[in-house]
Amino acid sequence: MSGGRRKEEPPQPQLANGALRVSVWSKVLRSDAAWEDKDEFLDVIYWFRQIIAVVLGVIWGVLPLRGFLGIAGFCLINAGVLYLYFSNYLQIDEEEYGGTWELTKEGFMTSFALFMVIWIIFYTAIHYD
Amino acid sequence: MSTMFADTLLIVFISVCTALLAEGITWVLVYRTDKYKRLKAEVEKQSKKLEKKKETITESAGRQQKKKIERQEEKLKNNNRDLSMVRMKSMFAIGFCFTALMGMFNSIFDGRVVAKLPFTPLSYIQGLSHRNLLGDDTTDCSFWEVLLKSRRTCNSCHFLRSSN
Repeated sequence: MSGGRRKEEPPQPQLANGALRVSVWSKVLRSDAAWEDKDEFLDVIYWFRQIIAVVLGVIWGVLPLRGFLGIAGFCLINAGVLYLYFSNYLQIDEEEYGGTWELTKEGFMTSFALFMVIWIIFYTAIHYD
Repeated sequence: MSTMFADTLLIVFISVCTALLAEGITWVLVYRTDKYKRLKAEVEKQSKKLEKKKETITESAGRQQKKKIERQEEKLKNNNRDLSMVRMKSMFAIGFCFTALMGMFNSIFDGRVVAKLPFTPLSYIQGLSHRNLLGDDTTDCSFWEVLLKSRRTCNSCHFLRSSN
């Protein structure tokens, strides 16, 4: 007679049609992930831009990179990296989200403001003491 | 740590705290109320319904169908307006906080160089970035520029974005 109780697995969160709910961030690096919720995908794009803004702000401030070149470099890298991500890596249909321009605009100005703050802080701290 | 850098950090820190306070006030006055939750759910439901109806409608759809859609759009517009009215309360509170904050910053940092800009701002921005500062070095930054950039970042980050 088999003793002991079977260890119960924690209940898996399920959608109405029986499919398993997958965490958003586990889908981010999967090129075959399906993005049913458009807002979810736009949030991912938004937060990716903020991360790029912080990273570039730190690098630009430390180097330092000055002037228009710094600003233009940020704009190109920010737009370019995200474009390659959603167009080449995820291969999503941009028209579903209003076109490439809408996806490029998503969170861009906020990330630009964040980049400027970080850039100014690091530049002031490291090179103007 | 130099005074300039300490000033910059202080301004950014206070901006972040103010933004958190503003979100907190908005949550207390608006987001947690039943009226707001009900209105938001209603607006989302109506938007999805309208979107579905617009996708299925054909060019040869009758006048009745089109009128139905117009009525639904009107209903959605009214609900959106009600939602904006509910948010109005918190906007006044936040506006008051921000005005008090500006007064405080002005008295502490007016005329002080709080940061060095790694670029020369455009002439119409210099009015803000070089406000009340002595000298001609346009890379000297006053607190206004740092404050506004910090506020722009914080306001748009929407700390409660995903739940709202």
